Amino acid sequence: MKANFILRLAWRDWRGGELGLLIIALMVAVGTVTSISLFVDRLHQALLKESANFLAADRYIGSSEAIPDSFREAARARGLDVADTLSFPSMVFTLDDRNTLVSVKAVSTGYPLRGWLEIADEPFSRGTPTSELPAVGEVWLDARLFPALGVAVGDEVEVGLARLTITRVLTTEPDRGGSMYDLGPRLLMRIEDVPATQVVQPGSRLSYRLLLRGDEADLEALKASLKLEDDPNYWWRSIRESSPTIGSALDRAESFLLLGGLLGVLLAGVAVALSAHRYARRHYDHVGVLKTLGATPNQVLGAYLGLLATVGCVAVLLGLLVGTGVHLAIVALLKSIIPVALPLPSARPFLLGTLTGLICALAFALPPLLHLRSVSPMRVIRRDVGTPPPSQILSYGAAAVGSLGLLIWYSGSLMLTIWTLVGTLGALLLSGVLASLLLKGGRVVGMQAGSVLRLALAGLQRRRKENMAQILIFGLAIMLLLILVLLRTALLAEWRSEVPEHAPNHFVLNISPGDVEEMGAMIDAVSPEQGGLFPMIRGRVTAVNGIDAGTWEKSHRSELGDGPGLRSGRNLTWTAQMPADNTLVAGQWWQPGDERAMVSLEDDYARDLGLSIGDQLTFDIGGERLDVEVTNLRRLSWESMRPNFFIIFSPGALEQFPATYMTSFYLEPDQKQFLNDLLSRFPTVTVIEVDAIIAQIQSIIARVTQAVELVLGLVLASGCLVLVASIHASRDARMSEHALIRTLGGTRRLIAGSLAAEFAALGLFAGIVAVVGAELTVLFLQTRVFGLGASLHPWLWLVGPAAGALLILVVGILGTRQLVSAPPITVLRGLN
Amino acid sequence: MTTLTVAVSEEVFQPMSSSVIETRDVAKIVPTAEGELVILEGIDLEINAGETVAIVGASGSGKTTLLGILAGLDVPTTGRVWLCGSELTALDEEERARVRGEQIGFVFQTFQLLGSLTALENVMLPAELRGEPGAEQAARILLEKVGLGERLDHYPRQLSGGEQQRVAIARAFASRPNVLFADEPTGNLDTRTGARIIDLLFELNDEFDTTLVLVTHDERLAGRCQRIVEISGGRLMSSAAA
Repeated sequence: MKANFILRLAWRDWRGGELGLLIIALMVAVGTVTSISLFVDRLHQALLKESANFLAADRYIGSSEAIPDSFREAARARGLDVADTLSFPSMVFTLDDRNTLVSVKAVSTGYPLRGWLEIADEPFSRGTPTSELPAVGEVWLDARLFPALGVAVGDEVEVGLARLTITRVLTTEPDRGGSMYDLGPRLLMRIEDVPATQVVQPGSRLSYRLLLRGDEADLEALKASLKLEDDPNYWWRSIRESSPTIGSALDRAESFLLLGGLLGVLLAGVAVALSAHRYARRHYDHVGVLKTLGATPNQVLGAYLGLLATVGCVAVLLGLLVGTGVHLAIVALLKSIIPVALPLPSARPFLLGTLTGLICALAFALPPLLHLRSVSPMRVIRRDVGTPPPSQILSYGAAAVGSLGLLIWYSGSLMLTIWTLVGTLGALLLSGVLASLLLKGGRVVGMQAGSVLRLALAGLQRRRKENMAQILIFGLAIMLLLILVLLRTALLAEWRSEVPEHAPNHFVLNISPGDVEEMGAMIDAVSPEQGGLFPMIRGRVTAVNGIDAGTWEKSHRSELGDGPGLRSGRNLTWTAQMPADNTLVAGQWWQPGDERAMVSLEDDYARDLGLSIGDQLTFDIGGERLDVEVTNLRRLSWESMRPNFFIIFSPGALEQFPATYMTSFYLEPDQKQFLNDLLSRFPTVTVIEVDAIIAQIQSIIARVTQAVELVLGLVLASGCLVLVASIHASRDARMSEHALIRTLGGTRRLIAGSLAAEFAALGLFAGIVAVVGAELTVLFLQTRVFGLGASLHPWLWLVGPAAGALLILVVGILGTRQLVSAPPITVLRGLN
Repeated sequence: MTTLTVAVSEEVFQPMSSSVIETRDVAKIVPTAEGELVILEGIDLEINAGETVAIVGASGSGKTTLLGILAGLDVPTTGRVWLCGSELTALDEEERARVRGEQIGFVFQTFQLLGSLTALENVMLPAELRGEPGAEQAARILLEKVGLGERLDHYPRQLSGGEQQRVAIARAFASRPNVLFADEPTGNLDTRTGARIIDLLFELNDEFDTTLVLVTHDERLAGRCQRIVEISGGRLMSSAAA
């Protein structure tokens, strides 16, 4: 068949309003996916970049030894930018011999590779971002150090043997904190000045980092070429390993956005399928006429394939434009609350949008159109010659394969896709039974009802099959929306609880046993929240079950494990009671009075290193050997920002070793001066300030939340489209019925009332179906995919059906108002 | 496609006999829940070129089914059917569609105009389907002939029943058919309009020298035909000159 005939066919159908809904549904599918992916893609890149600020780099290689030049050269050879940092604790002296312990960070040119430093001219004043670094011979100090040392900008201080000039107040640095070596207030200097200090001696507590910045592919290639996982002296870190809270927030947000997108695609697919079915049904007679006029089945097929291709291309183009437009509008709207500069999008969202359009057209719209080929021409003279329904296997098979392919490609996660589909299909099956029961129940109620309700419920009964399908579709749409709302609520609640208000934001280390009580009282006076008190001893594992730790690690370490190595030095503690925010996952916590030397391990740490209950661990603590048995495994709440330990001993085990204590507490930003008071009273303790990190985590979570809510809005729009498409699909049948009733004397009020009651009943039933499905799916997703706790939502059982009834009522009445207002003769003629 | 079309065309012009339609022992049986239902049985019929034939019978007698089989819209369960020299019962749906496109025109009781097309576009459709040039000009002339020259751009819903049927007649003749089938062409029209439609149908039939086969309850219409074929209970009862 000639192309221009197909184009004419398409144009005439469009002009006659036949193709409108199909094009709009396809366009919305493409538009939703494009705008969500564009936004997610750019926001994801931006969030990753911003998260990278926590490292001041995209990745870093850490070590307690100097990083070899060969690493630097290998990184440069791959086009990566590099910078070096060296952190160590040191005493700093003024010329009049006042001194304090500081955390020195010596940096090379280029630092920071991500994020920026903020500096001020006066202590405790607002900082401004800068791209400069202290010059050679200069230092920048934390505001708190100025009163502590009694110095001002322009004065000189001594670090080791080097005399350096204070030129700025350092207010913010991107990679502040995170490391146990980063103790005390910051002194920032140039790495070139370090040799002159002569403080770097064998045995010094040094933290070297080679910061890296560049393309993901180059970074991963470098990681693969250096093979650092075999070398316990160096560790490769990205934001995920380095900051578990941000890592898990990002992971979950990403999963949610993907899931939102997935459901958006599914909903749009359903809308496409519904409108294609309606289009095909309305064209049975059309095709019958074409066939009597001599159109062969292949010509019919060719024409409708051509039509679908034309429609598909137009819808994809429009969808891409709409998607980009919506995306730009969102970016413009959120400009004030997303201060992150969004990088340019990659080609992926556009590709994804295009492919979604094509797959939706093929998997959802093609089967009903293919069916037109077999419409009998006899239909034009014998209306009772039915057309066999489209092949169920073809329709559902194509839709299932199409959805699966699209979802896997879209989410990149087989697991998430399969659970989503299993949940949806399971819920559909269950809903089918439920919908059937509800319709039966409806009939019983209808017998005793007044004329409007009786007419409505009779309507529900008459088109039982269609209504069951419609309840399922409405139910599915409402269910998917409820799933998103519930998950969003669960995620936000989880995130908020991860970093609660007044979460401890300062850690104090090296508290001598004699100072514990007095310091506790001092902290209590200013802080509403104080974390537990933990003894702390440095030690490392040297053997497992008598096997050398290195050998054990080689044969037992999980390939997927990215946690710390067995032989690296760890902070050890002991306690009689398990910390409140830890959960016991295996074994027994020690009983009071049990004198054996026992140890409790963090679950992931044990799994990564192939350790289990009953294993004998040999520790080296200050040169002495200690053998203990693993008796239980715990799960930690890394997000709690409380002191967390991979390894906890039973109370008696470490008694003979000298220990210091650590604690944590919350301090308001304007109480920072308290740290100076604390440090002048207890000069040997070390304070780690994590308030800046917490603030950064909260800001990232706030942004991720906005993204999540936005995606929810877009998917809601898709859901409404499904409702409109579904109501349109049943419009013809309703139209003829109601026109007949009006011809027989039914008033507009009766029709409007019965339609309203019918839609409300459909919505109510769909709402019930949706609540059941949503509860089950969310339970599953929460526990299996998002790693959240399980919970039921009693309020949903009221809100779901009510919202379903209201939503379908409004959409239904808007979609059929013409049906009520048009004179019956017009309707009957139109149906001819 | 071109080769096949030529082949069919050559077959059409083979001087097989003077009849344009011939059936031999045609039966149509459909399965139902209660067993097999015989709709047509033992139908032997010959219709000659240029003849006008009315098929009459009570409702449910099988006349519409017979019309469908004669026009190649349906296939009999047993028996053979020839149309313009082609044995329809030996062809598949693809080939039957081609024969329909080249040999027949159709007028329906319910007009069967495509609602999304204007009157002009509806009439252009047969020529467009065959990819013939000049479809629009030919359609304009036909619509002028049926008295709708002023309503070319009207959609079916904007036309009266009589006007819609006139468009349908114009469309039926647009393919210059050898045989025109009509299924109750006046069934949906009032007496006056029906009479006008009958006049128009026979007028054009004469002009285009077409064989006309119609199914009707309308005695006046049947009376205008040269021959009346009566069907009862799925069997041919009589075939006599009107």
